[in-house]
Amino acid sequence: MQLEPELIRAEAAVRNSEERYRELIASITDYIYSVRLHHGAVIETSHGPGCLAVTGYQPQEYASDPNLWHRMVHPDDRTAVVANAAQMAEGKVPPTIEHRIFHRDGSIRWIRNQRVPHYSAEGTFAGYDGLVSDVTSRKQAEEALTEANVRLREVLASLTKSHEELKSTQMQLIEAEKLQTIGQLAAGVAHEVKNPLAVLQMGLGYLGRQPDWTAEPTIMVVKEMRDAVNRADAVVGDLLEFAAPKQPELRDRDVEPLIRRSLTLVRHELNAANVRVATNFAGNLPACRLDSNKLKQAFVNIFTNACHAMADGGSLTITTSSSRITESEMNGVARSRSGTRFKPGDAVVLVEIADNGTGIPEDKLSKIFDPYYTTKPTGKGTGLGLTVTKAIIDMHGGCINVRNGVDGGVVVTVILRSRMKDEK
Amino acid sequence: MRNNKPKILIVDDEKGFTKLTRLTLPDYEICEENNSARALETARRFKPDLILLDVVMPEADGGDIAAQIRADATLKRVPIIFLTAIVTEKETEKRQLFGGYPFISKPVTPEKLVEEIEKHLAV
Repeated sequence: MQLEPELIRAEAAVRNSEERYRELIASITDYIYSVRLHHGAVIETSHGPGCLAVTGYQPQEYASDPNLWHRMVHPDDRTAVVANAAQMAEGKVPPTIEHRIFHRDGSIRWIRNQRVPHYSAEGTFAGYDGLVSDVTSRKQAEEALTEANVRLREVLASLTKSHEELKSTQMQLIEAEKLQTIGQLAAGVAHEVKNPLAVLQMGLGYLGRQPDWTAEPTIMVVKEMRDAVNRADAVVGDLLEFAAPKQPELRDRDVEPLIRRSLTLVRHELNAANVRVATNFAGNLPACRLDSNKLKQAFVNIFTNACHAMADGGSLTITTSSSRITESEMNGVARSRSGTRFKPGDAVVLVEIADNGTGIPEDKLSKIFDPYYTTKPTGKGTGLGLTVTKAIIDMHGGCINVRNGVDGGVVVTVILRSRMKDEK
Repeated sequence: MRNNKPKILIVDDEKGFTKLTRLTLPDYEICEENNSARALETARRFKPDLILLDVVMPEADGGDIAAQIRADATLKRVPIIFLTAIVTEKETEKRQLFGGYPFISKPVTPEKLVEEIEKHLAV
């Protein structure tokens, strides 16, 4: 009867010891092993007791089954592991290898195998000792980190795209708001200016019919005043035209004849400024959906600007081409603040108008489409030319980009959406 | 020369314009109304053959006045021409706004105004 408490204590001590052993085994993540070779062939292997914790197999199981280790290696890593082991067997110390194995419980573990050769007393290669470390936790952390990194990159790419879209939308909103403000301003100005002009016009009509006013120089004075009223009216008219752009009347058109007609309209000005015109037309371009009158106005504005930039003569080169729009062309267009309207691969016609005039200061390039911004002397420009031009190109769903040429002067690129060659 | 001058009512808050139009077009009997709120009442009294109607006015705009005139039994057939400072001459050639009424862009020469008046009086 007295033995019983002793037995209970002993059993408890054994359980305690087993528990501590299990905890110890579980905490082991490394073990050493040794391989003895003779003429390159394995003649003996021995594994430290830690192999049980790392692989689930007892040291004696490795000793009795030479292929056990080979079978444990994950099939996807087997080739690399075999090649690595072959190098070791030849006495060439291979780099430390990390690969997957199947634990006895079926789970996959990552291990790191690091080896040191050892030599006989005669100095011949006799085998090697290895240290196997369980690096599963580190590998899982690395994989999690890689995945997180990939997700982060995806999120970053998505954020960058959203940011670009937001910027583009913001730009369009600013421009829309500007146009709305200009529209209201234009209507206000038109009302306040055209009404007094109407009084002046009617008054001049009255004076022109009076018997005392039918002799020179009074006739000349009245005519000059009428001309001045008409000029002022035309300026307000332009403002109204710009502020309330009408829907374009789109038809399938060839761009090149339209450019030729636009050139005819400014021929007098080009000749007067001694500007030579060279056209590098591609010919046989696909048709574009255009309002020919509006687009002519856009080209006339561009040609007139070029002419003003070459007051002492120069050359104007117009080049046309058709292509599928590229990412870099889209980026160039985006920089011009025209907004990106195309996606890579869209069929387009490009018109490049290059002059060798004075160019535009780089810090002014971002303002050239702003209403009433002009780099020309007073009386030369209204500051609406490029604004109207951009509005016209915009209403065609196209883009306009203005940059300084590499050799000076300005290069204006107009990109218009075209039909495919085989599209009806 | 006509025996009876056609009667034109001109409704416009710009006094200088109505006064000079009256002086410049002596072949018409012109009644000026510078207060748009009184336009209908003046039209009923004056019984015009044609009405020139400004669009943007402080009291009642041209569109409202045109609707009142069209609703009036005695005035509904009187031709109306809008005079407006907020469209361009090009638009007046291209389209008819304001519910199909013809309109003239200000400023207008006396010759052009007479041409338009005669065109619509004939109708």
